[in-house]
Amino acid sequence: MSGETTLTLRRPLTQRVDASTVAWDALRGLDVAAIEAQEVWVEGSGRARLGDLFEVTAVPGERVRLVGDLARIDGIGAGLAGGMLVLEGDAGSYVGLGMRGGSIEIKGRAGPQAGGALPGAKRGMTGGEIVVRGSAGPGAGTGLRRGLIAVQGDAAEGAGRAMLAGTIVVFGAVGAEPGLWSKRGSVVALGAVTPPTTYRYACTYRPSYLPVTLGYLKRRYGCPVTPDHLSGLYRRYSGDLAELGAGEILVWIP
Amino acid sequence: MDIRGVAIEDTFAEAFTMRVARVVITARSPRWVREAALKMTGFATSVIGCKCEAGIECELAPDETPDGRPGVSVLLLTMSKDDLPVRLIERIGQTVLTCPTTACFDGLPEAPDRIGVGSALRLFGDGFQGSKMVGGRRFWRIPVMEGEFLVEEKFGLQKGIGGGNFLILATSADAALAAAEAAVDAMAGLPGVILPFPGGVVRSGSKVGSRRTKGMIASTNDAYCPTLRAVTATALPDSVNSVLEIVLDGVDVPAISRAMRAGIDAACRDGVVGITAGNYGGKLGPHHFHLRQIMGADGPAR
Repeated sequence: MSGETTLTLRRPLTQRVDASTVAWDALRGLDVAAIEAQEVWVEGSGRARLGDLFEVTAVPGERVRLVGDLARIDGIGAGLAGGMLVLEGDAGSYVGLGMRGGSIEIKGRAGPQAGGALPGAKRGMTGGEIVVRGSAGPGAGTGLRRGLIAVQGDAAEGAGRAMLAGTIVVFGAVGAEPGLWSKRGSVVALGAVTPPTTYRYACTYRPSYLPVTLGYLKRRYGCPVTPDHLSGLYRRYSGDLAELGAGEILVWIP
Repeated sequence: MDIRGVAIEDTFAEAFTMRVARVVITARSPRWVREAALKMTGFATSVIGCKCEAGIECELAPDETPDGRPGVSVLLLTMSKDDLPVRLIERIGQTVLTCPTTACFDGLPEAPDRIGVGSALRLFGDGFQGSKMVGGRRFWRIPVMEGEFLVEEKFGLQKGIGGGNFLILATSADAALAAAEAAVDAMAGLPGVILPFPGGVVRSGSKVGSRRTKGMIASTNDAYCPTLRAVTATALPDSVNSVLEIVLDGVDVPAISRAMRAGIDAACRDGVVGITAGNYGGKLGPHHFHLRQIMGADGPAR
């Protein structure tokens, strides 16, 4: 199916909106009325319909596009299991919360906890792909169980906190304490990074899977992967040694 | 029918249904790709003695491989579905895993039948292995002394064809060899086909069973041995003093037909008297590649 559903923000938001209750995974198969009837929670004024905030056009297909400044909307793409969600602006907190499959492309910046987990949750995203064209807020990929997160800008502190598996690729600078308390999984730093003290240097090498992953990001999403990223050397840090220690931070050597 | 004066006999090659996997091997340089591929496809000429048949299908440019490095595509065939995983695991495990800088990928990702290869080889990692999902495909990272070996978890399996063939009947051994080399060169790199014998050429074509030794599966094809012309029921024209055979395995009938057409055409040259093919009267193999049909028209073999 090549159709596309588009949600265009009617007017700029002045309050935060919790959109984690929207059936994001079902949205691409719904008609306009059903999409407009989806409930969200608006800070200060309570329950509202998606149709109150967005103008909707719907042609069933794999792709759902959100247009406008979405920085005040939290929980976009929560529970997504398939299809493509494209955000034409910034995203609020918890984009891709509990995501299981499909892909989310954020053309602007992502707020805190992109692909992350709610406080106290054992795991965050369990599958799928998130690509952030701008920067990502704190805690991207917290509790990541499986899946791929690519941040083309910088990632703030706490990326990959308590990861269980999966991969986070950051093209820009990586904030403090990436991968802290992780059991497994990979944080790939193509920019500046300081691994936590609970990570230990292992070796400098060419990780065999990285050309596959980076090549995929380049082909599928047009991420700015260079030939030097593909063939270059990486410093491997194992950790978090305060946990299982089967995770890694791979630091590209320019 | 003749091509440039070479007679094309009105006969057919009889081939069998086999099971095939396509293995993509990559490495840091073409040198190590070639080393791994030659080892993996070594001693894999015939299921009669090698348990599988394997060969290099084609070389792959970096933009044709999953990791952007130089690679080759290898086809490996077995007679039974159950045998294919065993052969793949032992050969990839012993020849690709061990070879510096290589990685190993499934070349039939669309095939519905999947067999666990990386999922078995990962155990070599002794608990230190890890997996990665990329684009819906799972890969295993196995730590090795050199660094890390990457192998895809599952490989596709599909029906293939083994035993496509043609025989080059020549006036001398030199002429037969030159024609065989020309045929192999013409078929090199054609998609979906391998030539599992040394250099793609067989000098010891066989017949089923043996005159003398009970239980022997195959023995020399005396009807085509020039030295036995005077003492056996020979199939050779008077002027023929040497015969070489080209054996082809492939993924489907069109691939083998296409390669046979290219190979036979190249083999029709000075010193070659005729082209024929090996069969068992059509009773054993379901795939019949009629030489004149292949060379004369685009009609399919049956």
